[in-house]
Amino acid sequence: MNPFSRRTFLRGAGGAMLSLPGFESLATFAGAAGASKPAQRLAIFYVPIGVVRKAFFPGEADAAIPKFTSDQKEIPTKASYAPGIHPLEFTPTLEPLKPIQNEVTFITGMDRTYQNGTDVHAQCGSCFLSSAAPNTITTSAYPLDRTFDHIVADQIGGATPFRTLEISCNSHKDNLESIYFDNISWYGTGHVAPSIRDPRKLYRRLFGTTEIQSYRNITDLVLEDARSLKRELGRSDQEKFGEYFDSIRTIEQQMDKLEGMKDELSKAKIAEPPEALLPRGEYIRLMCDLMVAALQTGLTRVSTLMVGPERWNTPFTYEGLFDKPRSHHQMSHNQDKFIDDLIQLDRFHMEQFVYLVQKMAAVKEADGSSLLDNTILTYGSGLGDGATHQYSDLPIIVAGRGGGTIAPGGRRLHRPEGDPLANLWLTQARALGIKTERFADSTGEISALLT
Amino acid sequence: MCLQRLLILSVLSLGACLRSGAVASENIDAFATYLAPLFEAHCTKCHGENGKVKGKVDLLSLKSVSDISADPELIRDLIDAIDFQDMPPEDEPPLSEVDRTRAVSALETLLHQSLAKADAAPVTPIRRMNRFQYHNAVKDLFGLKVEVFSLPERMCREYDDYFQPATGKMPDRVKVGSRPLGKSQLIEKRLGGVAAFPQDLRAEHGFDTQADHLTLSPLLMESFLRLGKSIVESHDFNPANCKEWDTYFSEPKAGEPIEPIIRDRLRRLLILAFRRPVEDEVLDRYSAYVISLTREQGMSVSDAMKEGAAAVLASPRFLYLYDRGKDQDEAANRNHDFELASRLSFFLWGSLPDQRLLNLAEKHQLGDPEILAAEVDRLLRDDRLKNFCDSFPSQWMQLDRIVTSVPDPDQFPEFYYAKYRTSMDMMLEPLLLFETLLIENHSVIELIDSDFSYRSTRLRTWYGEKVDKKPDGPVTLQFERVPLKERRQGGIITTAAVMTMTSGPKRTHPITRGAWIASTIFNDPPEPPPADVPPLEESTKGVPENLTLRERFALHRENASCAGCHEKIDPLGFALEQYGPAGKWREVYENGRPVDASGELFRRHSFKNVVGFKDAILEEKKRFVRGFAAHLLSFALGRPMTASDSPALDRIVEQAAADDYRFHSLIHALVASEPFRQNASGGKALAAH
Repeated sequence: MNPFSRRTFLRGAGGAMLSLPGFESLATFAGAAGASKPAQRLAIFYVPIGVVRKAFFPGEADAAIPKFTSDQKEIPTKASYAPGIHPLEFTPTLEPLKPIQNEVTFITGMDRTYQNGTDVHAQCGSCFLSSAAPNTITTSAYPLDRTFDHIVADQIGGATPFRTLEISCNSHKDNLESIYFDNISWYGTGHVAPSIRDPRKLYRRLFGTTEIQSYRNITDLVLEDARSLKRELGRSDQEKFGEYFDSIRTIEQQMDKLEGMKDELSKAKIAEPPEALLPRGEYIRLMCDLMVAALQTGLTRVSTLMVGPERWNTPFTYEGLFDKPRSHHQMSHNQDKFIDDLIQLDRFHMEQFVYLVQKMAAVKEADGSSLLDNTILTYGSGLGDGATHQYSDLPIIVAGRGGGTIAPGGRRLHRPEGDPLANLWLTQARALGIKTERFADSTGEISALLT
Repeated sequence: MCLQRLLILSVLSLGACLRSGAVASENIDAFATYLAPLFEAHCTKCHGENGKVKGKVDLLSLKSVSDISADPELIRDLIDAIDFQDMPPEDEPPLSEVDRTRAVSALETLLHQSLAKADAAPVTPIRRMNRFQYHNAVKDLFGLKVEVFSLPERMCREYDDYFQPATGKMPDRVKVGSRPLGKSQLIEKRLGGVAAFPQDLRAEHGFDTQADHLTLSPLLMESFLRLGKSIVESHDFNPANCKEWDTYFSEPKAGEPIEPIIRDRLRRLLILAFRRPVEDEVLDRYSAYVISLTREQGMSVSDAMKEGAAAVLASPRFLYLYDRGKDQDEAANRNHDFELASRLSFFLWGSLPDQRLLNLAEKHQLGDPEILAAEVDRLLRDDRLKNFCDSFPSQWMQLDRIVTSVPDPDQFPEFYYAKYRTSMDMMLEPLLLFETLLIENHSVIELIDSDFSYRSTRLRTWYGEKVDKKPDGPVTLQFERVPLKERRQGGIITTAAVMTMTSGPKRTHPITRGAWIASTIFNDPPEPPPADVPPLEESTKGVPENLTLRERFALHRENASCAGCHEKIDPLGFALEQYGPAGKWREVYENGRPVDASGELFRRHSFKNVVGFKDAILEEKKRFVRGFAAHLLSFALGRPMTASDSPALDRIVEQAAADDYRFHSLIHALVASEPFRQNASGGKALAAH
């Protein structure tokens, strides 16, 4: 892209060009206080239901096809790697990474600990980013506490209109599963940070003005109720009731902040997404576009995206892959029959990830660096394999340089046996300026990932 | 009544007598000779004379010191008005500086004495609905046939409508699921795209209704704003799922004038949602909003009404439970009736009062003891009673603790199955017993000692029975009513759930069990342990391995300086030592020494084993019922009990005793009690006649 161009292009659904000026004012807003250095961003790209290991991990091509089981045992392989740095090998599923190979680090050998008492799919997704060590939460059967993205947002998200942005590419209209299958982002134990699934709703939340107006109408109405109610209360109740006024006031200030940006954002000619149900690829890419736009403009600095929900047997239409709608989860339980289809699906998801990386690389920031240069973007799944339901040896890929804190890619880091996934979040937290000794059950940072 | 309490009570009432005597002698002068003439000179022209009562302050009606002392709120307002020179207003002659200072000082003395003299019956402060109440209120308001969002705190999931209080009978076989621990039990028919705010946790030694725990933050308020909108905008919020669709949301027929329709619908919605008569000014405001949406934004009536409903759900008049604080006027009685309606419905239904309760309040009839009693019966026989059974008993028994109990997998491998835990079955047993005692109106004494229980196949095996059936789960579980032959079983105390959740993974924790008995059964929670107590392992280092747990504790007590407390709680816990860390019966410890479960209850009733222990508790059944009634009242009123509730609790127990402590009698006595009937302004709902 021409570095002098002040326009960045977003290709949206149906091939329409969406243009978004690279706002100088916003770039400054997104940047660190007073400096021209752009802000650090965090993004998570979550893939549900694990992957087919044979086609994903180097050295496992000859392993047996796993049977459906929930015993979580790994399938033995001949491959054995020493912990440390290895070359990036392009297995069938990783092949789409080739054009961006220098931007990504493939990490193998990381584990989570399954805590007995809940469904494997529900826990692998909802607790993927959890800050809780196993068996430390006394109010829930899930080892679930304020998730990584929110802990990061506490540090870097305060100045933006949206502290975090949760996105899920789940277009199912049935409520087949509980919230634990469809949310990786949580304010705390039992307190979900609900994800936006509908591209139109996401668009309106980011760029629309009618949503704000409708909240303003509501706050106006209820404030009147609050004023008249206050007059009916005894003195000490009046004092306690002050919390209601304080809360509404804070929300109105947030809306003011957002509205201040809306004037700028309304200049962006981003078409409102259509209401029609999109095929998977277009849908996921559209959500990626909106996520990039939000990160780019400084509407948020922290965003998570689930490429699909855990379990959930309702079929999706995967254009160009299968002639009929298919259920990812059902196929994952029968690798004998569906292994080739599943490998195609894993590859399809990898292509969407590559699209997101390239999109971020194409966005230039005020100092000439790219959005990708300033972001830490992680591809990952909570299961090491969709058939074995293992929590070990998870597929993890890290892209982006995190504002110069993350080492260049083009390699594979193999972690020692039993290395907890929490070490990855600890490492990223430190790269984003959070001074902490521990994250959940972490044992130490992955120093090879840092510059 | 124990001697100690008798003493405290008599000291209290003696003190009250002394103080009120003092007030009378000291202040007749200050009021009659100084304040009353001052009011007459400067205030009553607008505040009392010729029917003029600006700001609803009537100073002419204050005839004596006792009139003014009865209203500390008024005194406070007067002090503020005079001290901050709000009154007299600018266009009236001002008070001299000397008069102002003197008036404020006299009023402050009065206020002080008035508060000291007041019965000190605490009132429940304003509080927002908790998550559970919000869910039920929204569901009832719109007549939703699906859940608004899933609530893991509703532990026992009902299948096939077993819960039918109108029949007065619990079926012998019930199909249930455990929401927090069962497989896929949080997946139920609900509104898609709606995400709840976080669960409100129970207070220590209290409930999730307790006012001081129910606060609001900007983050939570934002959740409420979004939640309200996401509810009405959910694609499952539709005519098929919403029984009240036509009442509020259907499109009017072509040609019908929409504005009166919108106004009528909103009036109904606001009265139900706000649980009170709705003033014209409020109705005007909401109507104007909804009508403007149809006019200016071209919304359909259906969509505009949904927007209006979303606003109603964010209003403090919906979100907050409160009593009016200052009613001393005509409307007072009427308001007390509405407050009583809400208190009753939130107690027994965990939700809004229905139209019938509001109608009775409107007609000033709810305060009539007979009508009130009939309404209690009606509420007790309504299916919404399940909300009470889904909130009170699990918190009273602290059953949330079983969710995270993990007995040692090596010692109890059979506890774990198919990635799940037997605690899933365990937690439902005491809940089903509670529901049965309530629905069938048994004596609450059976909570201690019942001759039946509800058990799944897995549980029966767990208790040592030979069952020729494959255990079910982890999705749904079949529970059967089983007669109990041995008295060491029965009641809630010795259930596997309670025994497991009060133990560590490898050994029992008699102190934890003792503390649980003291809190749950006798409502007398022990003080928390001091921070500097060495753990058992450390303090008995070097002690021979073959000691029993009890002998180790004895040593521990010698070391520690807290023998006083432990002499009270330890015997309660050791009485249950014959139940191991996962609730299984045992006669000997692993080291071969016999289990000694003997002891004394309250230094009065000695026992040899757990059956004797139950007998000892039955000897003290009044104490249990009084504690249980205090738990219920605390749950209903959203505040801890205080000394001033004591006389009422005694009367409740006496009334319930007359009917063999049957559950419904206890609840009737509770609703009729002074603390339940009293509202924040100290008034009480009275029948119109």
